[in-house]
Amino acid sequence: MSTVAISEKRSALAPLGKPLAIAGGVLAVVAALLPWVTFSLNDGNWPDKSTLQFFDAPFLVTGFRWHMLLFGVFILVAALAPTPSRGRVLRALGWGTLAVSFINALYITIKGGGLGAITALDGEVAFGGVVGVVAGVLVILASYGIGIEPVADWKFKVSTPVAYLVLLVAFGGVLYAVAAMLTTGGVGASNPYAGAIFLSFLGFAGGVLAALSGVGLVRWISALSEEHRVFSVIVLAACALLLPFTDAGNEYWMTVAANIGIYAATAIGLNIVVGLAGLLDLGYVAFMGIGALVAANFSGAATAYFGFSLPFPVAAAIAAVVAGIFGAIVGSPTLRVRGDYLAIVTLAFGEIFTRSAQNDIGGFTNGSNAIPGIPALSLFGAEFNRSITIGPVKLPGGVLYYILIVLLVAATMAVFANLKFSRIGRAWIAIREDEDAARAMGIRTGKMKILAFLIGAMLAGLAGAVFAHKNGTVSYESFKFLESITLLAAVILGGMGSIPGAVLGASLLFVLPEKLRDFEEYRLMIFGLALILIMRFRPVGLIPDAHRRAEMAEKADENAEEAHVEARKA
Amino acid sequence: MSPLLEVRNLSVAYGAIEAVRDISFTVEAGQIVSLIGSNGAGKTTTLRTISGLLRPASGEILFQGKPIHAEPAHAILGMGISHSPEGRRLFPRMTVEENLQLGAYVRKDDGVQADMDRVYELFPVLGERRHNKAGLFSGGEQQMLAIGRAMMSKPRLLMLDEPSMGLSPIMTQKIFDTIKELQSLGTTILLVEQNALAALALSDHGYVIDLGRTTLDGPGHSLLADQRVRDAYLGEVH
Repeated sequence: MSTVAISEKRSALAPLGKPLAIAGGVLAVVAALLPWVTFSLNDGNWPDKSTLQFFDAPFLVTGFRWHMLLFGVFILVAALAPTPSRGRVLRALGWGTLAVSFINALYITIKGGGLGAITALDGEVAFGGVVGVVAGVLVILASYGIGIEPVADWKFKVSTPVAYLVLLVAFGGVLYAVAAMLTTGGVGASNPYAGAIFLSFLGFAGGVLAALSGVGLVRWISALSEEHRVFSVIVLAACALLLPFTDAGNEYWMTVAANIGIYAATAIGLNIVVGLAGLLDLGYVAFMGIGALVAANFSGAATAYFGFSLPFPVAAAIAAVVAGIFGAIVGSPTLRVRGDYLAIVTLAFGEIFTRSAQNDIGGFTNGSNAIPGIPALSLFGAEFNRSITIGPVKLPGGVLYYILIVLLVAATMAVFANLKFSRIGRAWIAIREDEDAARAMGIRTGKMKILAFLIGAMLAGLAGAVFAHKNGTVSYESFKFLESITLLAAVILGGMGSIPGAVLGASLLFVLPEKLRDFEEYRLMIFGLALILIMRFRPVGLIPDAHRRAEMAEKADENAEEAHVEARKA
Repeated sequence: MSPLLEVRNLSVAYGAIEAVRDISFTVEAGQIVSLIGSNGAGKTTTLRTISGLLRPASGEILFQGKPIHAEPAHAILGMGISHSPEGRRLFPRMTVEENLQLGAYVRKDDGVQADMDRVYELFPVLGERRHNKAGLFSGGEQQMLAIGRAMMSKPRLLMLDEPSMGLSPIMTQKIFDTIKELQSLGTTILLVEQNALAALALSDHGYVIDLGRTTLDGPGHSLLADQRVRDAYLGEVH
């Protein structure tokens, strides 16, 4: 039924595909150069001079207008040049154009008090937003006219030096994108339009990324990086360490990036429990809390339980071990309860932890007063939260924490990757797929499940120890149920069982709320909407595990495969 | 010399419900032995108890003369009893190769690859499509993979639970031919089947289980000729 509808739609649009795309591309360029608003909004000029600036300063195309211009050019290139899977690329670019136009036009409309703001006022015309939306719609229609083919598979091989160069450029691009994503819209409330600018940038980045992936570039590069795994890991680590030297290199963004890193490390730990072993844990953040409390109590802070301080590595190791012991205890019911019931057990454990911490049971948590005044870490006399100067280079405050946390994430990734491809990892995956069959294979399922909980909890405990020193205060409020759910969402959103997925998921989930502050009471609504959209269009997660990706690819061939099987049976 | 497997007065209960009551049988090395009986007779429960997935309420299970009924599942597998469970229970989202690797999970020697090649030799269709997901294969091919996977632990005793379930007569014949071939290669086989005709024709010895008890036993061909068996299980109408 649906195929008929699509082919009919296509036959009507097919001859129009190319002209529509060209028209859309031209309109996107025009929209970039048109005025978008003819007056100053209440909060000041709409960013990036979206009034009739073109006529004042013809070559000053910045911000979202620059993005629109790029979209226009990309669309024209995709429509005219021999592009692999053209329909797919155009569809991505069209949606990007539509998103950027729509977000900006909508925001201007809301801030400017009605549709008049984006059409005409005082006899002057500002049709930029409308033209942009039309351009987007035209290109999307064009893409369906041309037809959405599968993502092109680039067969050609390159020599090692060229591959290295490509990977360098690719990871450099990733670094640039991360820095831009963090800094776009400015810091906190300093820019009244920060939220809209960020969303608009997200539309641009998403459109370009989807187009690159549609044309087959992303798949090709990930195959290259798989082939040159060691080199990729080194370059990736180098890129992460270079972030302080980009636009994001100030104390604010270093702090945000460090917090993301802590949650990313925790999410990777959770990914062992949920993604590999398939055990749903709804109270996972409690292990991070236990790690943080242990580190806080050994830190020498005034209200700490112990009156002495231990060196950080020792305290962190104890934190990991204690969290691991609790992990094994929470995991032990897995021998008896499965699935949903286990989730309830972990949920209850999370609540027990929060309530005990709130009421200062055992005197370890200082209740609702929290444990403040945890000293910052220091190395050779350099405090981690101060800025440091090495020769002519001045690095922002918090950069040492950032570096420590990059190392933490790298170490967590290494643990995860090694486990995943080991005998233990295979056993976990088998348990996830079919526990009874796994037992019949001789896998000691009980031991393996407890081991998953133990290792996951240790990683969270370690991240918690860093968290305690980084933030200076440990309060039970940081480890509530909502945090567990957010971590779980990060794992699922990024792609279960995938390492880059967990990092990306954690980044999104902890950057988005920060970036959407501008929307005040609508913040969580937009956040929720974004999650729903991602799960609708990427059900296996943003960067799925190779296993699961293959599964989805096979879904397409499944009908053919089934027919083949039927034919064999006959 | 003691038989390879000896089950003595075995009873197994799920809570208050007794699924197996006082079953006894022996499997000599090199034989194919089948347990036949209708649905709910306790055949699957018996196999699951032998492989350590269930605990007996009473009775003994001896493997090479040693009691094993208190041992955990992985230890029993390590001793050389492999179990291909009812309904095949493959890992459908894993490839053929990954399924076979898991079959060899308890092994620590380096002959796994060679044994995998042997499975591919026995079932060429698996070798050709070794990187395909197990769930995409036909029922018969999945059964081949289930047997191959069970063979990967290098068992002395291979227990097959309903290998013909859901298969066409041609495919069933093929699977039974394979079982015969495995026997000729030196594996002892304990077979549980509802397809009594085909199972008994193949077996050196058969046991009829009814409502949790062994009611009859004898060499496969003589059971096939037994009027009571023919009436009850071979669907003959007078």
